[in-house]
Amino acid sequence: MAAADLNAIRATVEGRLATELAGSPAIPVVFHNMAYEPTPNSSFVQCLVSFGASEYLGQGLTTNSQNRIVGLVVISIFSAKGVGPGANFTIGKRIRDLYNRVIVSGVYFDAATGPQALLSAAPEGYFQTQVRVTFEFIEEL
Amino acid sequence: MAFFRGEEGSVKFDDAGSSAAAITSTRSWSLTIDKEVLETTVMGDTYGGNVGGIVTGSGSVELMYTASSGDETAAFVDHINTATDEGTALFELFLDTSGAKKISFDAVVTSADLTATVGEIEVVTVNFTTNGTITTAI
Repeated sequence: MAAADLNAIRATVEGRLATELAGSPAIPVVFHNMAYEPTPNSSFVQCLVSFGASEYLGQGLTTNSQNRIVGLVVISIFSAKGVGPGANFTIGKRIRDLYNRVIVSGVYFDAATGPQALLSAAPEGYFQTQVRVTFEFIEEL
Repeated sequence: MAFFRGEEGSVKFDDAGSSAAAITSTRSWSLTIDKEVLETTVMGDTYGGNVGGIVTGSGSVELMYTASSGDETAAFVDHINTATDEGTALFELFLDTSGAKKISFDAVVTSADLTATVGEIEVVTVNFTTNGTITTAI
């Protein structure tokens, strides 16, 4: 066993979304620390993965022991303003189905929250909703 | 002076009672050692008298279910389901990681609780009662 590779976990979470949104109809997706200039009146997705506090799971110190690593993926869906929520929620369904109670590469995704509409979009000029999914990974040392 | 935290603990077990091997993914263990009290008070005494009697122990081990089969873990979880339990299974409960501070004894497995709850790791709790000498190397 070995310490968890958080970058590999991040890649698992993000890769799943990138693959889905590369399919038809393709939707641009942007991740942490990436520059992106959105096209007006078009849809795009922002995916932010973060890790929270870890906790002890099993006895043992640095060998034959386990930790619980938890994380959160916040996915913002931006679509054209003033034309209703349908197009946005269609993308939201694709994303929610992608993570909802799924186990992949040892990452346990919980029941997804959203899409929830936000009153004010950031950046402005779009209709924005969010899908949030908590996840956990069991680190085996 | 030294302090210890629960994550330093561990459990070894052997259903054959000879060479204990590590149980994987233990989350906690507990042991209560009881001593019977025999009253020695006689007529005319002003104060009650007592002496110690038989010493027995009981406790539990909680582990996360991992389907582990290459060690004693599977035998430990399934030991409750043996037709005849002679009480010769060897338990070693460790207090630290050095391997020197431990409590060892033979015991009868008296119950096992297997639980699967939505959103939580599946857990097995094995309860036991000691059989014979309890050796405390602490």
